[in-house]
Amino acid sequence: MNLQVLSSQFWSLCLQGVALGFIYVLISLGYTMVYGVLRLINFANSEVFMIGTFATVVAQVGILNNQTNSQPLHGFRLVYTLLFALVFSMLVSGILGVLVELVAYRRLRALGTNRLASLISAIAVSIVLLETTRIITFSRPQTSPRLLDKWSFGEVAGANFRIDTVMVIVSGIIIFFVLDRFVTKTRLGKAIRAVSMSEENSKLMGINLNRVVSLTFFIGGLTTGAAAFFYTTVYETTQFNVGFNLGLAAFTAAVLGGIGNLRGAFYGGIFLGVLEQFASAILGSQWKSVTVFLVLVLVLLLKPNGIFGEAVQQTRT
Amino acid sequence: MINLRDKGAAIWENWSRTKRIIFVVIAITIVAFMPYAGEFGPTSFLNTPISSYQAVLVYPIALFVLMGLGLNIVVGKSGLLDLGYVAFFAIGAYTMGIMGTMTSLNTWEILPFGIFFAMLAGLLLGLPALRLRGDYLAIVTLGFGEIVRIVALNLEVTGGPNGVVGVPNPPPILGQKFELDDHAAYFWVILVMILLVIWMVRRFTVRRPGRAWEAIRQDEDVAALMGVNLLVYKLWSFTIGAAVGGAGGVIYASKTMFIAPDMFTFNTSILVLACVVFGGLGNIWGVILGASILGYLPERIRFISNARQLVFGLVLLIIMNVRPDGLLPRKKREKIKQKVVK
Amino acid sequence: MNKKIQRSLAVVSAAALVFGVSAVTSATAAQKTVYLAFQAPLTGPNALTGQDELTGAKFALSEYNATNPAVKVELVLADDQGLAEVAAVVAPGIASNKKIIGLIGPAFSGATQASLPAYKASGLAMISMSATRVSLTDKKAPVNGFPIFKRVVANDKYQGPALARYAIKGVTAPSVYLVDDKTAYGKGLADYTSPSLKGKIAGTDSVPENTSDYTSVVAKVKASGANVVIYCGYAPDAAKFVKALRDGGYTGIFASGDGTLKATFPNNAGNTAAEGSRLTAADVPFEDVATAAQMVAYTKLTGIKVPGTYVTSTYNATNIFLECIKQGKVSRPGIQGCLTNGTFKGVAGDTIKFDRYGDIIGGAAVGAFTIKAGKIVYVAVA
Repeated sequence: MNLQVLSSQFWSLCLQGVALGFIYVLISLGYTMVYGVLRLINFANSEVFMIGTFATVVAQVGILNNQTNSQPLHGFRLVYTLLFALVFSMLVSGILGVLVELVAYRRLRALGTNRLASLISAIAVSIVLLETTRIITFSRPQTSPRLLDKWSFGEVAGANFRIDTVMVIVSGIIIFFVLDRFVTKTRLGKAIRAVSMSEENSKLMGINLNRVVSLTFFIGGLTTGAAAFFYTTVYETTQFNVGFNLGLAAFTAAVLGGIGNLRGAFYGGIFLGVLEQFASAILGSQWKSVTVFLVLVLVLLLKPNGIFGEAVQQTRT
Repeated sequence: MINLRDKGAAIWENWSRTKRIIFVVIAITIVAFMPYAGEFGPTSFLNTPISSYQAVLVYPIALFVLMGLGLNIVVGKSGLLDLGYVAFFAIGAYTMGIMGTMTSLNTWEILPFGIFFAMLAGLLLGLPALRLRGDYLAIVTLGFGEIVRIVALNLEVTGGPNGVVGVPNPPPILGQKFELDDHAAYFWVILVMILLVIWMVRRFTVRRPGRAWEAIRQDEDVAALMGVNLLVYKLWSFTIGAAVGGAGGVIYASKTMFIAPDMFTFNTSILVLACVVFGGLGNIWGVILGASILGYLPERIRFISNARQLVFGLVLLIIMNVRPDGLLPRKKREKIKQKVVK
Repeated sequence: MNKKIQRSLAVVSAAALVFGVSAVTSATAAQKTVYLAFQAPLTGPNALTGQDELTGAKFALSEYNATNPAVKVELVLADDQGLAEVAAVVAPGIASNKKIIGLIGPAFSGATQASLPAYKASGLAMISMSATRVSLTDKKAPVNGFPIFKRVVANDKYQGPALARYAIKGVTAPSVYLVDDKTAYGKGLADYTSPSLKGKIAGTDSVPENTSDYTSVVAKVKASGANVVIYCGYAPDAAKFVKALRDGGYTGIFASGDGTLKATFPNNAGNTAAEGSRLTAADVPFEDVATAAQMVAYTKLTGIKVPGTYVTSTYNATNIFLECIKQGKVSRPGIQGCLTNGTFKGVAGDTIKFDRYGDIIGGAAVGAFTIKAGKIVYVAVA
């Protein structure tokens, strides 16, 4: 137990936890969207995230020709580089999400078989993605250059409002807000919610099921790709095995909030980020995962469907 | 799609009792000679490059079959998704490791303790977790698997990341020694355990617990309505599955003489689950086939060292898509029932 | 594609996998070829260490085979994924393959521990390039490696105190925060580092490997007021940690052991974060000790410009076996005798002779390094 850290670092831990939480939020949207529609855990989402981090590095280093030791950028070039890498990572992950659905789920869905087959099939896809990346990258970590100079807005009560921390939080809120509006207000979003309520009925209503499912995976991929971009910008390094831990945490966050529920993923992610920070600060980093799972079990015992309950259709404004 | 399982069942049902006994005896004899198949002429293609064929036969193959059968009780029979099955294996292994190095008890005397502690863990986890539905159970069991590994990593008594060194081998039974090189002897012990589990599962299936599990698997609400005590029967299936895993862990620790937390990762849970689904969910013979193939394949293709896991993933993906119900699916009869219920 | 075609494709590809290989593996070896096994993680999460080390072994072998020796030597790759459970299956296979006369590896201590019984039973001599666990050569340990286990890397008993000394050198009133990565390597090194820091430790933490976010540890370091941080773990995580420390405003010393001494470490840590870090190692960066011509040949052979960790020690381990083979020792007992009694030269010109329990006599020197302008620079013996 280490309580002395709280006296000087309390607000710093809170802020960092929230920033980490927003990365979890964006990844867990990938899990929650798919779960809401198909009632399946998309185990390959963690590898979609991993590919997204590499896509970010490729965009920054390979396409825009920034060197690993290059100086931070400024002005228009900085904004252009960051936006390009963000969009590139989102698109790559989105398209990969659709491909994952085609390869791992499409045929099994058509056969109407048991859910476990899809689970194993998705795990197989993630093994393939992981091993391919490992072979291509020689198992080595890849560094993303520090293009964003990490200046600080200032310190409030010991919490350091650094530009990347602020950027993750603000962009996370924007992306979540856009997605929430999309799902609740637009035609396609309503189609997604209809399918998540009842596949059979929405088919009767003339909704093209396969298209909606592909769209769901695409959107899940987009948010996961955004998470990958922010992750790479904040931590500036990635490796072929980066997906497992983050994917697991994000999935836990989704379950905490109530899987299938966008709001749930949002609050679940932030809660988990903060919880992790305090658990490692007070109990020691080695007990972090244990604490997280104990809290998860406790929450599920009190609220068996997660804090906010299940399903996309409940996200009414 | 061809259902070999049904054809096999049909042939079996037409046989007389003597025919059945002769078949079972012959089958067991053939399997018992498997450790020597790697050296014997026509079957020598089974030999694994680099790793030892006999050692592979014990772990992963035989122990995966054993764990697969245990997990099949939970996932296949009663439809509870357990993603942390390795936890029970680890508890059995650590029971053996700690008791074996600290007390003078031998493997056979520790075996009941290993089974007991695994069952106790199953009960403690099951009591809160089995009230949850479907995928919530999956994440909680997953978490439990990680917790057991992390606790083993963090505690002093388990040796932390260094694990437990110098776990004793079992003492001889009937003159058969269990030295490190006697892979065949371990294989036979596990074979006996596998046969016991098969016998137990077949008994259960036709009796009250088996019917209760089947009802729970098909529709929980209907089962509850029909008077099946959900929690009790779920706990039964969970703890019996845990017992099998614990027993496997004890033998495993005693064979490798060394255990460490990184032997009990999420990957192993996933692999065992893959064995069950790949072979045929809910069907004993399918699980055995699936575990044999998935345990054996990565060792057999060692010569492509770097791309080994990649090929493993691809094979898993292709087979799951071509035969989604597994290589040997469960009885048609049960599936038809499922449709009627729907 | 219709179902039938799909199904038959699957069957054919599976069959090709299982049967096609026997042709490859049963091809009889040419005369006068002996085999050395190389056991390290080549796939899985720890693959980086093994793949890096493999380049050292391959390079030593290519140099040897280029001299047209009387006895050809080939490598048998035994991928243990760095995991004890896989090693326990691989080791009996290697042990029973009588064509293999020596073993380079295993890379990891846990895998070594699990492999020892099989190799001991069959008398296969092994030289590890990176298994640093003290108990492997400790005569009091319940299971040690005597007589077959040797290593060309300093064990934690030597490196730990050296790391502690070097980390607090020249610091008035040192206050140390000790962090390990919860692996057998990191925890082991930390356990042998902390006794030398009695009374100077401000706090400790164990952050599991592959953690991405180190900000909570940084918060603790800052709250404790430490001016020296020692990290016991591998380079990828050390890079993330030191970056988080610097970004979090920590200005004290960052020190780490040989797991971090990797040419990619300063690069992974970003432009300036790793600057001035103090690193110790029983392993010297290969590019520092190899000749320029060797480096060119190395890059040509492996396609890697900057060698990873333990390339030097793997290169040394391989060369020790090759030296014995040159002396005509092509059997397991022959190699065993040669290793026990022989004196060898390392690539840096150092003398290597093993003591009774398998460590280099006098302990492999622990070097002290620092990072200047993004490059690892040798400072002195720590």
